[in-house]
Amino acid sequence: MISAYILITMKPGNVDKATKEMRKIENVAKISVVAGEYDIVVRAQVKNLEDLLSVTDKLQMIEGVNRTTTQIIEKEIAL
Amino acid sequence: MIIRKKYLFYALALTSSFIAAFVTTIDSYVGNTFFHGTDPIQNAVAFSFSLFFVGIIATFIIALILSLKHKGKSLGSKLLDPSFKRLRLIKKSELRHHLIAGLMNAINTIGYCALISLVYDPSVLVSFSQIVILYLLLMESITEKNIPTLAEVQSSIIVTFGAILASISLHGEINVPSLLIVFLIINPTWAFFSIFQRKLKMMHINGKLNDAINIRFWNVVFSFLFTTLIILFWDIISGSQYLLAGILASIYFFPWLFLTMSTTFFSYVLYIRSLGLGNASVNNAIRASSIIFAVPFSIILALYGLSPFSTDPVMLIIKVIGMILIVMGIITFALTQVKAYIFITLKPGHARKEVMNKLWAIPGVSHVTVTAGKYDFIVKVSTRTLVKGYERIIRRIDEIDEVQSYKWNSVLKDWENI
Repeated sequence: MISAYILITMKPGNVDKATKEMRKIENVAKISVVAGEYDIVVRAQVKNLEDLLSVTDKLQMIEGVNRTTTQIIEKEIAL
Repeated sequence: MIIRKKYLFYALALTSSFIAAFVTTIDSYVGNTFFHGTDPIQNAVAFSFSLFFVGIIATFIIALILSLKHKGKSLGSKLLDPSFKRLRLIKKSELRHHLIAGLMNAINTIGYCALISLVYDPSVLVSFSQIVILYLLLMESITEKNIPTLAEVQSSIIVTFGAILASISLHGEINVPSLLIVFLIINPTWAFFSIFQRKLKMMHINGKLNDAINIRFWNVVFSFLFTTLIILFWDIISGSQYLLAGILASIYFFPWLFLTMSTTFFSYVLYIRSLGLGNASVNNAIRASSIIFAVPFSIILALYGLSPFSTDPVMLIIKVIGMILIVMGIITFALTQVKAYIFITLKPGHARKEVMNKLWAIPGVSHVTVTAGKYDFIVKVSTRTLVKGYERIIRRIDEIDEVQSYKWNSVLKDWENI
């Protein structure tokens, strides 16, 4: 299982509509609307890199998405 | 399905507390109708043994039904917990947590059954159990690196005082033995139980999040084993026959015990699921609403003459004040949390493993992920206030020499696939 964070910068005024679209994408485990350098942080859980490509492709197709930065998780500690 | 995490969390915790209020009412009825012999210890011990004995049968049957497949998915995953596949054996990694949770639940249930024989009113029983929030705050500050803020301490005290007032109001007096059982047995064991159930729920089994149905089933099994061992030990040293009394009670009152343990199953499964979504203390703050849910059940029992219900206006006012305090405490507690992602880049030539441990040691950090890409780490934090976030988290990151730069992104809203 591969997990990755996809950091998304949006064009102004598109966040609400975009998150609705993102919720329909398969393999999206978590969506956070954030304030800061990025607008949305998506966490994806996929079986292989090809599936990850499919998720990022689908995210980029959403109207208002300006740029995506993918961070693949190599190790994780969580409560 | 992806939904607002917050809504699901509240829905689960509130439904669980409603069912818990109902279960307490049945327990109160069963305890005071069937277990009212002259020996109070025997009553408590036999009642708790029979609950777990019949509980294993009830939980096993329900879990088996929930394991049935429908269109490729188990009924349990469709109805209660999407992580549930089928009833399974426990993994070695779960054993320690199950042993502790089972022991705590066994002691808690014996205490609870003793309390039932002292206090007849379900709304009083439910009120007493809310004091657990104080113990949980203390434990979370140790186990989850989360030092309570003033707001947390204030709301916990409000909930506690509210619970005490609400319990006095229906009872009309304070019962010292019952308070001792509440403070020394029921609430500390429930706090440990909650924390270890949460740990189990947060575990990954076969690549999936652990499911609440298996956790509940195995908890009943371990609780039964520990209850039996405790009673057996007591029988041997004192020459009593409590185990036999428990077995006979299980046979005589089987239908009622089956009803209460079947209903408890759903309350616990929803509770365990909500524990996977939020801190144990926040969960228990929301569960304090069961005090309100318990009132109609208390009135029903009172109408049938099965429990006392004070109609003294002073007592009723005290009760309402208690309830308002609890609700206020819950709202303050549950709604004041700031979450954020911190994106961190390291200076070249430093081992990320070492920095990972330094980041993990910071209070309030809930996730540390080492990532490949623009950033070296993505850290998730949760704190009660932004000021506390700055003082406790940012300052500590500033102190790590290897960190070149970091960016704080506060979470405004989040959804989770659950």
